[in-house]
Amino acid sequence: MNRNLLPIASTRDTAHLAWQLLKQHRGALILSALAFAGAGLCGVVAPWLLGRIVDGVRDDAAESVVTQAVIGIAVAAVLGGILTAVAASFLARAGEPALASLREQVVDRALGLDSGRLEEAGAGDLLSRVGDDVRSIANSLVEVVPLLIQSAIAVVFTAGGLFALDWRLGLAGLATAPFYVFALRWYLPRSGPYYARERVAQGERAEALVSGLHGAPTLRAFSREHQQVDRIAEASNAARGLAVDVFKLLTRFFARNNRSELIGLLFILGTGFVLVRDNLTTVGAVTAAALYFHRLFNPIGALLVLFDDLQSAGASLARLAGVARLPQPEPPTATVGGKPLLRMTGVSHEYVEGRPVLTGIDLEVAPGEKVAMVGATGAGKTTLGAIAAATLAPSSGEVTLGGVPLADTDVRDHVVHVSQEVHVFTGSVRANVDLARPKATDDEVRAALDTVSATPWVDALPDGWDTVVGDHGHPLTPAQAQQLALARVVLSDPEVVVLDEATAEAGSAGARSLEEAATAAIAGRSAILIAHRLTQAARADRVIVLEHGKMVEVGTHDELIASGGRYAALWEAWSAE
Amino acid sequence: MTARALIRRSLSRHRRPLTGSALLLVLWQACEASVPVLIGLVIDGAVVTGEWRDLAVWAVALTALFCCLSYAYRFGARLGVGAAQLEMHQLRMEISEHVLAPRGARTRLLPGEILSLATSDAEQVAVGMRMLTHLLACMASIGVGAWALLRIDAGLGLVVLVGTPVVLGLIQLATPRISRHTAEQQETIGRATGMATDLVRGLRPLKGIGAERTAAARYRSLSEAARDASIRTTSSYGRLSGLSTTLTGLFLALVALVAGRLALDGEITIGELIAVVGLAQFLAEPMGSIGEISARLASSFASAGRIATFLGTPPLVLDGSRTPADDQPQLHVDGVNAAPLDGLSLQTRAGELLGVVVTDPAAADTLVALLRGELERDKRTGGVRLGDVEYDDLKLDALRRHVIVNRHHADIFEGTLRSNIAAADEPHLTAVLDASAVDDVVALHEDGVDHATAADGSTLSGGQRQRLALARALAAEPRILVLHEPTTAVDAVTEQRIAEGIRRLRHGPGSDRVTVILTSSPALLAQADRVLLLTDGRVSAEGSHHDLSADPAYQAAVLR
Repeated sequence: MNRNLLPIASTRDTAHLAWQLLKQHRGALILSALAFAGAGLCGVVAPWLLGRIVDGVRDDAAESVVTQAVIGIAVAAVLGGILTAVAASFLARAGEPALASLREQVVDRALGLDSGRLEEAGAGDLLSRVGDDVRSIANSLVEVVPLLIQSAIAVVFTAGGLFALDWRLGLAGLATAPFYVFALRWYLPRSGPYYARERVAQGERAEALVSGLHGAPTLRAFSREHQQVDRIAEASNAARGLAVDVFKLLTRFFARNNRSELIGLLFILGTGFVLVRDNLTTVGAVTAAALYFHRLFNPIGALLVLFDDLQSAGASLARLAGVARLPQPEPPTATVGGKPLLRMTGVSHEYVEGRPVLTGIDLEVAPGEKVAMVGATGAGKTTLGAIAAATLAPSSGEVTLGGVPLADTDVRDHVVHVSQEVHVFTGSVRANVDLARPKATDDEVRAALDTVSATPWVDALPDGWDTVVGDHGHPLTPAQAQQLALARVVLSDPEVVVLDEATAEAGSAGARSLEEAATAAIAGRSAILIAHRLTQAARADRVIVLEHGKMVEVGTHDELIASGGRYAALWEAWSAE
Repeated sequence: MTARALIRRSLSRHRRPLTGSALLLVLWQACEASVPVLIGLVIDGAVVTGEWRDLAVWAVALTALFCCLSYAYRFGARLGVGAAQLEMHQLRMEISEHVLAPRGARTRLLPGEILSLATSDAEQVAVGMRMLTHLLACMASIGVGAWALLRIDAGLGLVVLVGTPVVLGLIQLATPRISRHTAEQQETIGRATGMATDLVRGLRPLKGIGAERTAAARYRSLSEAARDASIRTTSSYGRLSGLSTTLTGLFLALVALVAGRLALDGEITIGELIAVVGLAQFLAEPMGSIGEISARLASSFASAGRIATFLGTPPLVLDGSRTPADDQPQLHVDGVNAAPLDGLSLQTRAGELLGVVVTDPAAADTLVALLRGELERDKRTGGVRLGDVEYDDLKLDALRRHVIVNRHHADIFEGTLRSNIAAADEPHLTAVLDASAVDDVVALHEDGVDHATAADGSTLSGGQRQRLALARALAAEPRILVLHEPTTAVDAVTEQRIAEGIRRLRHGPGSDRVTVILTSSPALLAQADRVLLLTDGRVSAEGSHHDLSADPAYQAAVLR
């Protein structure tokens, strides 16, 4: 399936955004850079002084040469340690707040996305950005970035140290650089696609495992468990093969690094040999140079390996920036007062061009009126509900509330939409309800729970309404979850409510109490009820029968029964005795 | 199986590659330890002498050392990784096969928890296996370093060999603090990302109520907590790194002091001085690694314990040895007591569509578990028979041949509508699509019945998933089919069609198939030959839907 994914920012835009966020902490950033530089300088002191000791020994110098050098090494050690700690701390003070602002901005924009756009992209796209990408950057900021900076500084300063010892030794060291670059340029183009394939394979493995684990009861009931085991084996084996291949590639890369290390050592020792022979430098300087270079093995290795991490963190950053740079939704321009009338005029909608789902709907819902919508799956009930609640903009036609176009109003102050999806937010029961009005008092929340008759079971929870529900929390039945959704409606106190199959999932006994809760929640409000149980329709002020996107019957329950049309037939089947 | 036994088994089934890997890695680390020694030798033997011939000899020696080092690592590590990846795969398959065994597994774990066993715990065990080979290698390099140092000068050797672990020990003192900070940081980040994904998953209900701002504000407070914890963690990492810079530097100063004096006194050569300093720097690595590896091994051990416990969980259903004498056996529930069931008895009759109305959802769940054979023997009295054989003695194959109990939860698998239904042939598929009203779903898509379904059916609505699961149950054509609330998410019109469809498909003239439907839907119950009302855990009324409709208790239970 070709998905229209959410945007990914270009490198330029990503860098721009990162700078915008970082520059608010410019002071910390500068201090961190200075401290890193200082620590790097301290790092090159030891090999240099060790070289001095070597020379001192060769020249039979006094013991004080050794003592002075040792004191120098000790001072550099203490100073370097302090500066390292300071540098990391200031880096965190700049980087972490910037990352926090970024992720907050991403979530903010994500919540502002309209559900149609989200559907096009697939929720998975957004979920992986607010989840995996944020986590990946957060982790790399703690471990990878400081190490990367330290390594880079060590490399730069040690190279500088080599030149300070003797420019010819410096050149010998520098001559190694191309070999490292060759190794990297050999590796990166090969590893990138491999890692991408590995990630895909791991995703497929997880998918196969999860559907096997979730569906185990069904698979066993239908004797199909072998098929799933085979699928898991296949996916797991594919992922294993790729992991081994990726590692083989990595070891070949390491071998190229080893080769560069050898070449570097030979260059430096060879150059040193010639220079010492011609009395152009001292044995101590050559020693220091060789030790410098030996000390570089680890930082260079780290830099090269971290390059991968850096690339993947960069990709994550671009994906986050793509969402963070989405425009903010426009604020409403008009307000509506009193008890407004909801009017739909000539509303039609098509999701796919040429395939209308709704055609020519004209409907008025008077203040306080309850309108029930009845019809087969695919008749357009849910679409009509979404349009009435401004969750969806119709392809043509107009929806107004109190005479103002719905799209221009502060619509959620007046119209609330309870969709088919039942979702329990992770958090306390109270937090689930007061999402609708965070400043609500205890009494108000309790009253809302009372209205939908949820108080008895809420009080029976282990910690009452402080009990954590949702993922990993206390499990709720679908009926209880739906009651919380209705309590949110009560707390939000809108003039108009659209309830879409709100009692669908409740099953036997639950549906009855849920129906009563729904009735209580919409008391005194205008409501569009997408009815599943015809009892709901029977209690409504007006019933609308939808068929293939058109209103085919409109009237009160009694009128429609009397007219003997489609609704009457349905009712007869429903209440068959 | 215990954790120890599981690890022993893992090691023994990859004995050969692991041994090879360990030997090569030992060689690799020994070579790494020799690099600083050899640098000293090159300076002593060639740079100081100024002889071209000496330089050539030492250059060849250095090259040989690097070749040895590089290849030893390359093939040693590959052997280890290959074995670890294979072990991971094997553990993962054992876990999957345990859950997906025909008899099932009574694990009491959530799917997410099992997933983490099959991925991260399996990985921990396999990585632990590899770490053991690295542990040997580190010990080897310390051995080589120690040998070289003691040969150069016994006193100096002791300073390095005693001093290095002391320095590492001091650094280790700071790590509990770091791990506490890291744990706290991981937790706060986890909580923030958890909330973000939760909000996105509930985006529609959230937007329906207009709570985007509130939700964003709540996320912000978690994000800020994560930020503060991250600053603390990074800073303590920085302090650790600073501490280690200071301590290793001071230690190096001490070694330089001792070695420099010895060299001045002519006790050791310049090359030896360089080797000592180089080794003092190098040895910190393998010694540090030993600390890390032991922490890693502890967590592998914990993972192995979790996997071993999991694999030891008992099966969900019993597998006996008997098959029913009758080739068309019926289901008999004989006086079952298992809360909330209280002396429930019922029998199915050949050819009937039996409606069962259960007032208490918990009783319905228990009844379904009972009919699936998943209700433990010690949690009930009485039992279920298929014909003349108790479930407890029944061959699992026989049960599966006669009975399918379809759960209320609709599991949809990745594939197509067709692959999910898995009908025997095309005419049967058409009949099933019609009876389950899935043909409405098929008609919505250009590719019809070959329309792709995502994992967990996430691209389908609740009603569509439910109908698809029903179609699968009908397509399997079991002689006895038990359906649990099959139409709760389906609209009234479609429900009516389905009720008629089930009747037509399974209960035509002369059919002896049995369909048991646990439901409160009048549309379905109206089609039933017989309806049982279960209140207080037992059958309280029996009759046709029409007869029972006069009963107030039945009226209250059946929604209209």
